[in-house]
Amino acid sequence: MGDLSALMAGFETALQPEYLLFAVVGVLLGTAVGVLPGIGPAMTLALLLPLTYSLEPTAAFIMFAGIYYGGMYGGSTTSILLNTPGESASIITALEGNKMAKAGRGAAALATAALGSFVAGTIATVALSLVAPTIADLAVQLGPPDFVALAVLAFLTVAAMLGSSPARGISSLALGLFISVIGTDSLTGQQRFTLGLPTLGDGIDIVIVAVGFFAVGEALHVASRLRRGPIPLVPISGRWFTKQDFKRSWKPWLRGTAIGFPIGTIPAGGAELGTFLSYATERKLSKHQEEFSHGAIEGVAGPEAANNASAAGVLVPLLTLGLPTGATAAIMLAAFQSYGIAPGPQLFSDEPDLVWALIASLYIGNVLLLVLNLPLVGVWVKVLRLPRPYLYAGILTFAALGVYAVGASVEDLVLLFILGGIGWAMRSFGFPVAPAIVGLILGPIAEEQLRRTLAISQGDPTALVTSPFAAVVYCLVVVAFIGSQWLKRRQARLDAAVFAVAQASTTPGGPTSPVGEGRPTVPSGKERRDAARTKNDETNDWDSGGQW
Amino acid sequence: MSTVDASGEATARAARSRGPIPKSELAVAAVLGGLGVFALVDAHTINVPASASAVGPRAFPYAVGALLVLSAVGLVVALVRGDRGEVEGGEDVDTDGGADWASVLKLTGAFAALCVLVEPLGWLIAASVMFTGAAWTLGARPWWRALLVAVVLNTLVQVLFTQLLGVYLPAGPLEGVPFLG
Repeated sequence: MGDLSALMAGFETALQPEYLLFAVVGVLLGTAVGVLPGIGPAMTLALLLPLTYSLEPTAAFIMFAGIYYGGMYGGSTTSILLNTPGESASIITALEGNKMAKAGRGAAALATAALGSFVAGTIATVALSLVAPTIADLAVQLGPPDFVALAVLAFLTVAAMLGSSPARGISSLALGLFISVIGTDSLTGQQRFTLGLPTLGDGIDIVIVAVGFFAVGEALHVASRLRRGPIPLVPISGRWFTKQDFKRSWKPWLRGTAIGFPIGTIPAGGAELGTFLSYATERKLSKHQEEFSHGAIEGVAGPEAANNASAAGVLVPLLTLGLPTGATAAIMLAAFQSYGIAPGPQLFSDEPDLVWALIASLYIGNVLLLVLNLPLVGVWVKVLRLPRPYLYAGILTFAALGVYAVGASVEDLVLLFILGGIGWAMRSFGFPVAPAIVGLILGPIAEEQLRRTLAISQGDPTALVTSPFAAVVYCLVVVAFIGSQWLKRRQARLDAAVFAVAQASTTPGGPTSPVGEGRPTVPSGKERRDAARTKNDETNDWDSGGQW
Repeated sequence: MSTVDASGEATARAARSRGPIPKSELAVAAVLGGLGVFALVDAHTINVPASASAVGPRAFPYAVGALLVLSAVGLVVALVRGDRGEVEGGEDVDTDGGADWASVLKLTGAFAALCVLVEPLGWLIAASVMFTGAAWTLGARPWWRALLVAVVLNTLVQVLFTQLLGVYLPAGPLEGVPFLG
């Protein structure tokens, strides 16, 4: 059990007061940005990438791990308490969690989400510590053509799974690859796509692209379509967590973990799919069918566990193969690169101290989240109430600051804003941003491996497919592509069915229509908002009778 | 997440995909294809040194250009088959109405002010102007409260970055003031 002693050594490192402090800061920061709408873990890590210039790697990665887990955690608070549509990964939690909150059971929803995240996060981190070294051992034998195949697999699955259609995902991927080529070719020193501009000679810094696409793009997007009026928060009410709640929650937690972790490890576009599958499972298995779409605790417990388990799963291909399967993982990969560390099979043998300290800090982060989060829920609610004009002005300020701090260059700021404009356009026209980020960061690695393969084979392209592993991966690409389209259709069907039921049940006096039966009529936007507001007023009455 | 909104969106989406293809969506595909053609043409002008091995600096750019052109074609095919871009949702995003160009223009102005002012006037003043402008654009009233928040925030940033993190931020006319320059 060499791994166990390595893990213990990791704990020894991560538990040093200084590193513990970085873990606490990361967890708090991560939860705060997870709670704030418009900022995700990917954007936060992008903004903090410049820190890698002044922090030592262990401290930086312990903090990044805290932000990563904290962000997942904070998102559930938002979707339970905020009465507006959110990002897709948290839709499922919102579906039942928001209903629970409105029905005066917000406290129980928050509790099952927090406890479920802890249980799932811890089990999945154990799985990560067991699986990752084994995969790394096997992966050591992989050669350049195998990594080309893995990169192709990641590109296509990320492009196909994220976003509404493969055409849009692949367009986004191609844009990211294009930006990655701009600059000086590292092997031959030739300028590519620089238009002769000296600014572009060294390529565009990943920080500028990531911050532009995520932070500035999001700020412009929200500015162009800001939801005006008061922030529709549902007050927290009800008992925290009863025996009955626990009885109904623990199985969904475990099932969610079992679904989420494997889905996180394969390039399937991140956490979203796992939460949908977990929700579908709980819906089928629950003894409280009638409560679904009205606030069933199983529908919060399962997906929330799946969400956190897949967050740990995502780290398996990242740490063992250097393969990012989503935007957040891609930015973590960029952070490794800025330290001159290449995640991949050699990581566990070359940088054992760093990797195991990182994994140990995931365990610690989970405990910290459990200890800090429920008691601090009042703080998170205040964070949620942050007036939006200040929030987005602040995002713009920190985006500019992050980029300016790197090079003190006004040209970089202009470039940042142009890239932000592209990010805005992508959001307006329904192009997912994540494939572009994956293409941007994984593109140069793929090119290097491709050229290495062909240099070894002296230009013979069949070398790309004659390695047995690569051949298997290309077969998987085909299967994964077909499978992902099937899963997405299934997800869309479930989506539509669930929304149809929810719609029917919110119509006053309307019968609950069976799943999948016809789409209900749509009230106008104004009516809908009014309806939401009335509902909020009703829930305010619950608050006074609340148990806390 | 208000479920009512989402089912409404689904219906609206179904209704939209029956209509004609919006010109703006075709324009996006055209831009993408144009970028691809540029990549293919420009890749041809990349120098290939004699020392380059079997695959030189041109191969990958060619592949990227081809992928861009292919994805533009794929996008047009998808549009013809009824696929329509959906505005990305979010907690603070109202997907019902159209884009508010005036706000975006004001925000662009605020950011441009930062770019122009940061070197002569320093980070604190330039970023405070930008923050105030951006917050005011997004509805912060009265403007002096936004300015107050901006000055406090950016003073903290200036002190933290230059004094504690050792990162250079220009101080402008405040050069020499303790803790700022």
